[in-house]
This record gives sequence, C-alpha cells and structure tokens, in this order.
Amino acid sequence: MDLLGIFKDAESAANAVDGLVKAGLDEARITSLTSAPYPDGVIVNTDQRSWFRWFTLVCGIVGSGVGFLLAAGTAWVYPVQTGDKPIIAFYPTGIVTYELTMLFFLAGTMVGMFLEMRLPPVGKRPYDPAIGDGCVGISVSLPTEDWKLLAVKTMEEAGALRITSEATL
Amino acid sequence: MSEPGIPDVKSAGQLNDEMLSSIRTPTWKWYGLALFLGAVVAWGLAAFSYQMCTDMSCTGLDRPVMWGFYIVNFVFWIGLSHSGTIVSAILRLCQANWRRPILRAAETMTVFTVAVGGLFPLIHLGRNWVFFYLIPYPNQRGLWPNFRSALLWDATAIFTYIIGSSLFLYQGMLPDLAVARDRAIGWRRKLYNLLAMGWRGTAREWVTFQKASTLMAALIIPVAVSVHSIVAWDFAVTVVPAWHSTIFPPYFVIGAIQSGVAAVITLMIIIRKAFHLEEYLTPVHFDNMGKLQLVIALLWSYAYFVEVQTTWYAHEPIEWEVYSFMAHKYTFLLLTMLFCNSVLPIIGLCIKRVRRCVPAMLAITVLINVAMFIERFLIIVPSLSHKNMPFVWGTYHPSWVELSVTAGAFAGFALMYTLFAKTFPMVAVTDVREHESQRRLVPLGRTRLPSLVGKE
Amino acid sequence: MEKQKSPYKWGMVVDLDRCTGCSACVVACQAENNVAICGKKEISEGRNMHWLRIERFWVGEYPNVRARFLPVLCQHCHDAPCEPVCPVYASYHNPDGLNGQVYNRCVGTRYCGNNCPYAVRVFNFYSHQWPSPLDNQLSPDITVRPRGVMEKCSFCIQRIRRAKENAEGEKRLVRDGEIQPACAQTCPAEALTFGNLADPLSRVARLARSPRRFRLLEHLGTHPSVIYLKGGGREHV
Repeated sequence: MDLLGIFKDAESAANAVDGLVKAGLDEARITSLTSAPYPDGVIVNTDQRSWFRWFTLVCGIVGSGVGFLLAAGTAWVYPVQTGDKPIIAFYPTGIVTYELTMLFFLAGTMVGMFLEMRLPPVGKRPYDPAIGDGCVGISVSLPTEDWKLLAVKTMEEAGALRITSEATL
Repeated sequence: MSEPGIPDVKSAGQLNDEMLSSIRTPTWKWYGLALFLGAVVAWGLAAFSYQMCTDMSCTGLDRPVMWGFYIVNFVFWIGLSHSGTIVSAILRLCQANWRRPILRAAETMTVFTVAVGGLFPLIHLGRNWVFFYLIPYPNQRGLWPNFRSALLWDATAIFTYIIGSSLFLYQGMLPDLAVARDRAIGWRRKLYNLLAMGWRGTAREWVTFQKASTLMAALIIPVAVSVHSIVAWDFAVTVVPAWHSTIFPPYFVIGAIQSGVAAVITLMIIIRKAFHLEEYLTPVHFDNMGKLQLVIALLWSYAYFVEVQTTWYAHEPIEWEVYSFMAHKYTFLLLTMLFCNSVLPIIGLCIKRVRRCVPAMLAITVLINVAMFIERFLIIVPSLSHKNMPFVWGTYHPSWVELSVTAGAFAGFALMYTLFAKTFPMVAVTDVREHESQRRLVPLGRTRLPSLVGKE
Repeated sequence: MEKQKSPYKWGMVVDLDRCTGCSACVVACQAENNVAICGKKEISEGRNMHWLRIERFWVGEYPNVRARFLPVLCQHCHDAPCEPVCPVYASYHNPDGLNGQVYNRCVGTRYCGNNCPYAVRVFNFYSHQWPSPLDNQLSPDITVRPRGVMEKCSFCIQRIRRAKENAEGEKRLVRDGEIQPACAQTCPAEALTFGNLADPLSRVARLARSPRRFRLLEHLGTHPSVIYLKGGGREHV
C-alpha cells in the first residue's frame, strides 16, 4: 500500500526520508513528490539511468526509412521526367529523409518519455494539491501492513503536515 | 531584512500566484482586445475569401512578379518562428539561468508563427481548393507530388517543425500544467488535468523529464536550421538572378534568428507589462537578450555586406541590374532596412544603458522586425521584377487584398497568443521556482552574495 | 530508370533575318489555342496572356534607327528550370522533347513562372470569358483553362498529336512538314520552321546547322529546342 506524507519544505522531508531509511525501509520504495525539481540526493537518491532514448533512436531510424520511401519510393512508383534531373535525385531524397527522421525522433522522444514515466496512469495514485504550492510529498510503498504504524510515526516526528493513503490522482 | 539589490525570498505559493496571475478570469480589457483582433482576422478572412471566390487579379501580382506579399509573409513568419527554438533550446542547452522566465513566451511564439506562416503557401495558390494535390497520399489517380520541388521540401519541413515545436512547447509545459491543475476549478481544472497526464512530480518523473527536455532541445535546433534553409532553397535553387546564391541558406537562417530574437524581446516587454511580471523579467534579462541580438545583428550585417560586395565586384550584368534597380526604385525602403537592421541595433545595443532600458529595447526590436519584413520584400520582388529578359521587366504593388491578409495574419497571431496567454501559464513556473529554490545568500568577506546551490 | 526514347525531338528554328515583326503568329497562336482575349487594362497590368510575344528593340540613334524583332515562345528546354520546381508534376518533360503543361493538375503556385528565365509562362490571373458569339471560335481540340492555372506555348501539341495518330494509323513516322504549329503555318515570311530535330534530313535540322545559329540565354544551360538564326549584317548598326 502507498502512504503519502506532506511536508512544509525540503528539510523536513529530507529528515523524514532519513528516518524511514534508518527504520529499515529500502530507499527504492521511497520517492519525493515536488512541483519544482531538486538536485539528485537532496531528498531521495534516484537511479539516473533511463531507457527512453533508445526508443527515440529506434523511432528515428524508422523515420528515415519512411522519409526515404516517401521521397525515393513515390518517385520510383510514379516516374515523371522533369528537367534533366534523375527520377530519384540525391539531394531531394536526402532532405526529405532528414526531415522525417527528425520528426520521428521528436515524436519518439515524447512517446518514449511518457512510456518511461508510465503516464497517463492506469489507476489512481496518492497526491495532494499542496505539492503544487511548494510542499514536498514523500510517498512510501510499504511492503506489508505492519510497516504502516512505524512509517506514520517516523513521518510525524519529522514534521509532516498530513499523511494520507488515499489515491486521488 | 534584505540587502539592497537582493530581492526578498518569496514562498513558493507567492511565486505561483504571481507567475500564474495571467490565467485569472479575463477582464473587459482582455475581451476588448480579443474582439478587436478577431475583427481584423475576420477582415483578413473576408479578403482571402474574396480572392478565392473571384480570381487572383485582385492581388498585385503580374508577369514577371508572380510572387509578392504572400511569399514575403511566408518567409517572414517562418523566420519569426526561429525565436523559440534559438532562445529556448540553445539557452537550455547552454544552461543559461536567465532563460527561465522567457522560455514559455518564446516557445509559444514559435508554434503560432509557424502556424500562421504555414497558411501562406495555401493562401497564395491560384487554385487553393485543390491544395490536396500537394499531400502525398495513395490515391485513385496514382499520382504523387514531386519531391524534387523545393516547395515539397517546404511542406515536409514545416510539417515537421510545427509538430516538433508543439511537442517541445507541450513537453516544457508539463510540470506547469500540473501546478495549474492543482489550483484550478471548473473547466480549467478538467483541461489541465487532461493535459498534465497525471504528472505528480516524483523523482523518477523529473529525471526522465529533464533528460527528455535536453534531448528535445538538441533535436529541435537542427530542425529549425533546416526549415529556414529549405525556405531559402525555394529561392536559391532557381535561375532567377540574385536569388541563385549559395549564401541564401545561412543568410536566411541568420535573418530568421535576428527577426526571432527581436520578436521575443518585443513579446517579453508586452507580457511583462500586461501580466505585471516586472520582477521576473528584469533589466538583466533584457541586457542578456540585447547582447544576443547584437551578435546576430552583426552577423546579419556581415552576411548582407558580403552578398552585395561579391555581386558588385563580379558585376555580372543581370545580377548587378537587380541590385541597381532595387537601389533606385526602393531607395527609401532599402535605407530604412539598413538603418533599422544594422546601424541602430549595432550602435544602440553596444550601450549597456540602452540594453537595460525597456522602452529603448521595444523601439529597437520593433524596428528590427519592420526592417526584416522590408528585407524579405527586397529579396523577392526586385529579382523577379528584373529577370533575364528585359522586355518583360515589370513592377509590383501590393493590393488591398494582400495587405488585408497580412494584417489578418498579424492579428491572427496576436489573437492566438492572447488566447493562449489566458489559458496556459505564460512563465515557466517550475523552471523559475527551481532556480529560486537553489538561491542562497552566502556571506563572503564584508558582504553577502547570492549563489546557486546545485550540481555542476 | 531509363529515359523514355522517342524518334521525335520537336524543335523550331526562328530566322530573325526574315521576321518582319508583323505579329501574325501571335494572332494565330491566340486563335488556335483558345488563348484568352486581354484588353488594355489587363495588358497594362502586366497580365497579358500571349503565349508568343514579339520583342521589339530599337537600335541606333535617329535618323539611323532600326527595329529588331525577337519572337519569344516557350523554348521547350531539355533542362527546363520550370519542370523540377512544380510540386505537383503539372510541368513535365515529354519523351518527344516537349515541355508539357497539365492544366488540370496545376494548383497555381507559379513557381514555374518565376523560374522560367525567358518569362514565357503566363498565369490566368483573371477568369477569362468568351462572351457569345466569341465562344464559337474556341477550338474543340484543346481545353479552355480556368483561373489560377499556368499555361504556355505547347508547340500546338494538339496538332502534333493529330499527326502522330494519323501516322500511327498508317504505320509510319510523321513526315517532315506534316506538322505545322499555328505560328509557323501563318508566318508570311516563313521565319518560323518546325520539325523533328532528331531527323538530320528535316528542314528544321538543316536550318539548325546554320553558322548564324544561336540560342537565347545559352549561358544558363537550359538547352532550348528553339534555335534562332541571327539577322544579317545590317542589324548591327
């Protein structure tokens, strides 16, 4: 089950995380919810790796194929002589291939980003509008029900404004 | 107590309030503005409908000048679109902190200027109703469009750019939409909820977001450069004298950045006034943007000088004839352009006091864009007027239809911008707050100085 | 992809020594090809629709003034600048060496008109009418172009087609002199000669080998199919 604690600022939130880690909770189960980013390690440590850029790369390669087919493929299928230029010309094919590669790169970045963030979400998750106004949320994914009392106590000691397990967003 | 010159530290809520003030319920002034702009757009649409329903004779076009104001507008608006890309993307990649309040305005400008610019290739067609011949789709005629034509490269590039810049804008706006969602009610809440895609601001989300942000910025810059190069190739790949020049692609890109940066500064001044963002768009920001503008103005002047100088020296008859004709027939326009694009910005922006003076910056940047519009006109029309066969030399004067459509385009852009400014956060809220949260006053020697806490 | 081959390579020779500037060819072209009737207003606006124009230049000072005439029509370039720039393939190169214009495909971007160095392409700025009974003169072999469409000299392609169809029916090639575009047919001074440049024995090919030959704007490398023959020595005053 998920628990969300709302804290006034980053300092009290950091204290809460410290407390939870000391109590034995795995740091990977703790995450911060902030409306402005903090440098890594200020509140929680995250694994900085991400995979969506590979997705972008694949999309870009697909895009170059699409671009090539569009410029060269359609000219091959419907050959019309214009000027003294070849039917499949180097520069036009290159330009159109490049543009579509970039388009697919850009679209792929967006889609990949959302895929990695797993947004839009399937179900609802805990959230509090106070986070938008600068409060820091600490969300804990508890392994069992027994942890709940300890987690609540640790967060209250650190100065939580409120703690909820309701999934609203 | 605060040190003189160092502003009080504000709470996040206060910052949010101020930066999101633009999306409050509109006043009658806003409605008045929107109505006026809507009326001008309607007039432009009426003029265009008149052209489409009667014939192209209502324009000023003739033989040999078959491209006039519509194409001038096309190049001008696509040039303006380089604003967001250059300001937002490049400054993001350089991690210049002063970019933060400007980002959103610049990115929005890119999207709407491309949208307006992309309409002109459809407006200028002789048979607009069969514009779909230009779209590559399998059809029962078995016909495809001609990708050897620079106009199709245009179509591809603008399609890519409009989608790319819209995605870039949306991506940057995602955390701000979440903040807006948290404070909104009614239809706004539903809208922001939908667009924010369930963003909560978890640490992982931020990591992915920042990586995606950098990647998008890095990708959109080559697209922007290619878009305006392709627009330049519309002219450079022809055999028209004074168009057929290898300098056109870099020259057009430089001109676009010149035009775009000036437009961003103008817009910054307008939204600063309209939404009371004086504390976020400070003279420091104008100082830095002014320096950027100075560099670009110098580059533009260099490019123009080189272009005319090589033509003059080689003195190929028909090429020099075009410049000579331009200097004689459009003397006033030429001098205005040179003064407002080169002399005034270079001299004015060298002076720090001028850069930090908002009214002066407004005057300089508006004049730069006026000069850029004239520059597009002077590239397109004189070359076509005096082509290779002297017997068919001609002139061109824009007609009321073309002027109305131009006015409609400006009003359309302003209207879209006004509507956007009322609906979405105009300042990159989370970006500014990130910066604010990292600022600390550090005692050093006899004084305390602001410093930024963060990873290098 | 191989270039389509054809035994024909249509071309025209314009003998400037013979041209008197009478403009009968202009009128004939207008009559044959359903070219719009333009009045003073349209022409003064620079929107005349003539497919063929006679350029008139004055040479010399009074009293030794001479007029030089240059009939300019579509040059049917082999490397036509107007063809690759059309985004919809309305302007294309025919295997017979003609520059073809497909009226119903044209969307009216006018890029071809800009890129033609000879400025021979005309655009339908106006929606032209043929008030009755002028519509009786329209040739049924060729369309009437709507507004917004580009047009230009086609070497009277309808006559070429007719002759080719007849020749095919008789299982032979088109004979020299069988096709005469309206301008060549009408010229009283026989300044215009049309034929198959690929046939070395045709009249046009023989004239094209004259030492007086030149082409317009050769430095642009458009390789036109129209060859001009310079006027005699008296032209150079």
